[in-house]
Amino acid sequence: MIFYIGSFALVLTGLYIAAAKKNLIKIIMGLSLVDTGVNLFLISIGYIKGGTAPIFSNAAIPGKTMVDPVPQAMVLTAIVIGLAVTALALSLVIKAYYHYGTLNVRKIKELKW
Amino acid sequence: MVVSPVLLIAVPLLLAFIAPLCGKAAKYIPPAGALFNLILSVILIPTVLKSPMIVSIGGFPPPFCINLFVGPLGIFFAALISLAGFLISIYALSYIRERAVGKYHTLYLLLLTGATGVVLTGDIFNLFVFYEILCISSYALTAHNAHWHRHGTEAAVKYLIQGSVGSAFILLAIGMLYGFFGTLNMADLAKHIARAHSSVLFIPLTFFIAGFGVEAAIFPLNAWLPDAHSVSPAPISAIFSGIAIEIGVYAIMRVVFTLFGAPLSVMSVLLIVGLLTLLVGEICAFRQNNIKRMSAYSSIGQIGLIVFAFGLATKSGITAGLFQITSHALSKILLFLTIGYMIYSIRMKNYPDKYVTEIEINSLNGLGKKMPLTSLGFAIAAFSLIGFPPFIGFSSKLLIVKAALLKGGIYAVLMGIALIATVIEGAYFLKVVQGIYFRKGEVEGIKENNVFILVPFFILAALIIFAGIYPGILTKILNSSSGELLNRIGYIGRLPG
Repeated sequence: MIFYIGSFALVLTGLYIAAAKKNLIKIIMGLSLVDTGVNLFLISIGYIKGGTAPIFSNAAIPGKTMVDPVPQAMVLTAIVIGLAVTALALSLVIKAYYHYGTLNVRKIKELKW
Repeated sequence: MVVSPVLLIAVPLLLAFIAPLCGKAAKYIPPAGALFNLILSVILIPTVLKSPMIVSIGGFPPPFCINLFVGPLGIFFAALISLAGFLISIYALSYIRERAVGKYHTLYLLLLTGATGVVLTGDIFNLFVFYEILCISSYALTAHNAHWHRHGTEAAVKYLIQGSVGSAFILLAIGMLYGFFGTLNMADLAKHIARAHSSVLFIPLTFFIAGFGVEAAIFPLNAWLPDAHSVSPAPISAIFSGIAIEIGVYAIMRVVFTLFGAPLSVMSVLLIVGLLTLLVGEICAFRQNNIKRMSAYSSIGQIGLIVFAFGLATKSGITAGLFQITSHALSKILLFLTIGYMIYSIRMKNYPDKYVTEIEINSLNGLGKKMPLTSLGFAIAAFSLIGFPPFIGFSSKLLIVKAALLKGGIYAVLMGIALIATVIEGAYFLKVVQGIYFRKGEVEGIKENNVFILVPFFILAALIIFAGIYPGILTKILNSSSGELLNRIGYIGRLPG
């Protein structure tokens, strides 16, 4: 249960940062926090306290003590996607700084925000 | 089995990463890939209409593997995507020639891969992954001109921030469904959801609609669209408007109809949201001075009309919505491509060393005599979007009106409001067409002579007129597609075991 609360707290914190902060880098940090929260949420779905990896090498380990591998596969994919988005976002921020000389989103508004 | 539908996804994905190795020849790869997909999907249509194809990947039976579900709806969208992708890539052969050319072709093919993957997959997490491929390549394509045009960066940053928040919501919803039901296969999920209590389903469904709604640009979530669509170069605007936002609508409809069985409350909300999107989009479009921004807002309006038609949740309504998707894709692609060519010609004459992708409406005045074919293409696209006969837009709007009247009551009243929006649409498009043909402007020395750019205009205009005169050619596949969306039991029944 504590994991679910923690993950939703992370998501909400991230959303708050992305919505309230003016600095583009901070907004991207907020988005990363959202991603982390979602990943934690996915992992905690399949988590069993004291469980082992789901590999059928030792027949003595009962299936019930193994954690669910599917959310872990999903999280691996989600981490990679999050990495790609963050990298792209940061490179766009570099370009934005190059063009506008500021990272403040209130000042970057030649198109109507 | 004739050919495997996996190739529809695998070939563009492979070509996307071959393209950067080809140097100067890279620009011929997207047309080749899209043409391959077009031929393959047309070949597959008769087979799929008989019975949907299910392809399991990895050698496990569903629901334990990732599977592709190639039904009429999927193959219809795959054909539309590859047709649009093919025509736009022919246009791009001579349009995209500055700076990041190789990267453009890679990203373009990745966008097509993502879009095709979303419509063909039968696994909800796989759908998310393909959706992310589509979105990330869209963010990067928006910033295609970022190096020497500052607005591209700004639009891309905006799009990326909103899009990634949307994606996080989709992933949360997928996680919740997996937590409740322990499966990711859409048919299996639909089976479980049909038995579940509706109170647990409310949050995932809301998250799905909010997440996919960002890409579909439905009303409160559409802030990124006018910027992203107006600052990017013409082929990119065209593929965004013609394909990318439709994929968002597809994803919403697949989730709402197939997974959640289209509860009445949700459909009413979608209906109202669609109507609001339509009105907001058209009213905003009316007061734009910039021709590309105007067309971008018009896309929002058209998406609203599509969502409205789906929101009727009857067979005729869904068929009409799919028809409207086809009509909007063809007409809006033609519109953006012709505008792009006009802007390109004006820019080449007036400021050849500056990078311009947007232009005021007044600058197009008088082009009708200098660029007759392009202007004709623009007029056809605009008339089709307004809904004049004999163009395809007329048939699609007629079908929507028919579907709404068939449902009767309050829906007929709402349809009346939707038609007011069409009048606004007519007003602003006719203003531009009048300017192009009947006003005088400073357009001396502008010529149209690029055959690669003109050929897609001919094909698109021919398709728009042909499908407008014989809407019957589309009805068979559209009817079975809407059948697929409504027939949830049939979708579940395809699951072995």
